[in-house]
Amino acid sequence: MAAPKLRELTGIFLKIGNTTFGGGIPTIAALQRELVDRRGWLSPEDYGLAFALARITPGTNVIAFCAAVGSRIKGVPGAFAGALSETVPSAALAVLFTVSYESWRVDPLVMGAVAGIIAAVAGMMWTSVWSLVKPFMGGAAHALRCLVFTGGAFLAIWRLGLTPLPIIALAAAAGFLWREPAK
Amino acid sequence: MNLVILYLLLLKAVTTSFSGMSSLPVVRQDLVETHRVLTDRELSTAIAAGRIGPGPNGLYVVSVGYFVAGWPGAVAGLLALITPAFLIIPLMKWGARYAGVPRIRAAIHAVILASAGLLISASIPLTRDAAAGPLTIGIIAASFTVLMFTKVESWWVMIGAAIVGLAPVLFR
Repeated sequence: MAAPKLRELTGIFLKIGNTTFGGGIPTIAALQRELVDRRGWLSPEDYGLAFALARITPGTNVIAFCAAVGSRIKGVPGAFAGALSETVPSAALAVLFTVSYESWRVDPLVMGAVAGIIAAVAGMMWTSVWSLVKPFMGGAAHALRCLVFTGGAFLAIWRLGLTPLPIIALAAAAGFLWREPAK
Repeated sequence: MNLVILYLLLLKAVTTSFSGMSSLPVVRQDLVETHRVLTDRELSTAIAAGRIGPGPNGLYVVSVGYFVAGWPGAVAGLLALITPAFLIIPLMKWGARYAGVPRIRAAIHAVILASAGLLISASIPLTRDAAAGPLTIGIIAASFTVLMFTKVESWWVMIGAAIVGLAPVLFR
């Protein structure tokens, strides 16, 4: 697929970054759908690399993720486009919310629309889980890896209360040592 | 407060954290307790304002900047928020260079699979919070179905969900 123009890439970041409620992970999930699944501008490998490295970059993960994805598609200008268009409009909105917080919070229309969007985001998250795992599902040996890494990471954070950083580090180390079966 | 100092203090808070809200203790320590340019009430309003809108969780830092120094302060907060993100550019270059090595690739694949597990754990509370009644449960199911089985742009699903969310308020 042909590389997109910087303007097109910025357009995607503006749309996704500033309409997805619920914080960083839903935004990353929505960008995955637009950039990897729908447009093919980014390979699943590059997506995975950006996701993992964003986790170990200091600061807010999703901004680093946008910079990484932008740099992979369009170099340093792409990184700036990603980080700025992900943050500037929603930051301006956050300041406006700050100014008028007390009156917004009791407006049922605003809260109704926000509740609808949050519900749509929740549905989207599960499609994102599936498209992360799907490329690795062929054959029993691959399915076992999926079960161990995805299930293990889930239990580690959900049951053992580990933070994402050591989980990602452990998965990387185990993945390095445990050879992947041939496709 | 001097804008450069505000920027550096917020940058310190953002750089020493690895997720949106974990910079909070440092921000509170520096701006509320040490420098006394922010009140706890303003801090919690900033957090709430950052949460009800779209965008990353760490955005409250921008609102904090606004409380301390108006719009220029908000810009200082925004710059502090995005500065550390650019560290990832050299990291990506380094990662891409070694991505062809089978063991490194296997490690990256393992990280992708693990990140799906982390995503599940983030999705459960989000889904639980979002499912407030029959209407929102319907939106969750509809959003999942449309996004899973069609190529419709996600943005239209969000707009549609906002409109459906307005319905019970309008037609009460």
